[in-house]
Amino acid sequence: MKPGYILLLVTALGTVSAAGAAEQTEDISASGRLSLQGFGTLGIARSDKDGAQYVRDLSQPDGLTTSWSGKIDSMIGLQASYRINDELDGVVQAISRYRYDGSYRPELSWAFLRYDPDSTLSLRVGRLGTEFYMLADSRMVGYSNLTVRPPPDYFGMLVFSNFDGLDISKTVPAGNGLLRGKLFAGRSPEKTAFYNDISWNLSGSLLLGGYLDYLNGPWQVRLSHAQVRFKDEMPTNSLAGFDAISIAPDLSVVDKWSRYDSLGVVYDKGPLQLQLMFSQTKHDTSAFEDTKAGYAIAAYRIGDVTPYLGYSKVKSTPVEFASSIPSYISSLAGGSHSDQHTVFLGGRWDIQHDLDLKAQVDWIHGSPSSVFLYRPGAPSWDGHMTVFSLALDFIF
Amino acid sequence: MSVWPRLFLALSLSLIPWVRANADLVVVVNARSGVERLTTDEVINIFMGRYRQLPSGIKALPIDQPETLPEKARFYRLLVNKELPEINAYWARLIFSGKTIPPQQARNTAEVMDWLTKKRGAIGYIERSQVDSRVKIVLELEP
Repeated sequence: MKPGYILLLVTALGTVSAAGAAEQTEDISASGRLSLQGFGTLGIARSDKDGAQYVRDLSQPDGLTTSWSGKIDSMIGLQASYRINDELDGVVQAISRYRYDGSYRPELSWAFLRYDPDSTLSLRVGRLGTEFYMLADSRMVGYSNLTVRPPPDYFGMLVFSNFDGLDISKTVPAGNGLLRGKLFAGRSPEKTAFYNDISWNLSGSLLLGGYLDYLNGPWQVRLSHAQVRFKDEMPTNSLAGFDAISIAPDLSVVDKWSRYDSLGVVYDKGPLQLQLMFSQTKHDTSAFEDTKAGYAIAAYRIGDVTPYLGYSKVKSTPVEFASSIPSYISSLAGGSHSDQHTVFLGGRWDIQHDLDLKAQVDWIHGSPSSVFLYRPGAPSWDGHMTVFSLALDFIF
Repeated sequence: MSVWPRLFLALSLSLIPWVRANADLVVVVNARSGVERLTTDEVINIFMGRYRQLPSGIKALPIDQPETLPEKARFYRLLVNKELPEINAYWARLIFSGKTIPPQQARNTAEVMDWLTKKRGAIGYIERSQVDSRVKIVLELEP
């Protein structure tokens, strides 16, 4: 989103909110109401390895070592929403977190106008969160999640947090349940970390996708698809130190699609919560390996404490290059290799109605070639790591 | 309540439909809403923001009792067997991902009744003793 557009949106919200204040009513429809809310996480974590740094997701330029650090999970978000009338409202949200350039500079994460002509249809235009996978558009909101962070084996490769565009969703009763469909399209405004201080500009990349949800009692099942067409070249050549892409044009990402398919099942009944997700990612470019990932979490609330146990797994398939491509070139794609699984155990303690404390241990078992989800760019390790995490999540 | 009775209670929920609660909460709508009865699933869909349309075709406007009163916690315990922190975590996900907004939170019980009588689509939960001709009971949250 261009700065001018953001300014326009903020001004528009400001104008309607000023207009609304004049005719403020205590009506149930809440028209003319401005609300300010926020969320945040204070998290510290460490691992037992210095050679490979554990990150929350690949947008982060570096991650955990054997010293306690607050950078990968700590964040704060502020949101202003304004309800213009029953059909129309606007939301602006900014998040400060550890980002691709190593700073905490706040970013505009959401800024949209929503139009709900009736109770089944919703249309949003502006900056929106990406929802490639179930729960993906709230992965920064620690208080809404059970675990300290969304399992990186599954969510770690998602560097797209938001896009500028639109989405439309429709909900209809189906049998005893509800069927909900959503479609979205837009362009990325983001950059992501790539290698040490080299970042990769994702902005302008096209994002398209949608999902179909079935909700029935405690069950929610989702099939989703998303795809991305990259606009800018990944800085493969800067990493290689020579023009690798002209030797192996298949390493180029420009105008190539990556496709993300997933199935998510959530069962949430009383104190019991179960989550099960599978995904498959396929890339037209040879710069990334095709990947399959999945995870399962089981949790049971006992009083104010909810212990949980999880398992996640990610495995990618090495890219096959033509025999004419030298191995020092094809090995560049090996940087996107993953072959590991994680067992994680933790607990969430709801201290108050707006505050929780979580503790979690992750045991990662993988192949030494499972390097994609770690920093720096070419970590050397034995594939085994234990991660200890503590997090305080709050909303206000 | 200590851990074990709670665990037992939760486990036995699959056998008995409702925990015998200490009060008589009823789900009510505006008397002019054109709705006679709602199923538990329909009430869940409305209060959890999944689908907010009444069977009569009008938009449902759910109202929450103030968090300071015991009615709210009791209602969600009876409806979905969830504690308020879980309800808040649920809404945090939807609010901060720009989805549905939570039920309108009243400041006191009088405001709940006021809103219930003002809007045709209004739906709330009150003690049975508070029911009068301006509202209609559509679901009883008791054994």
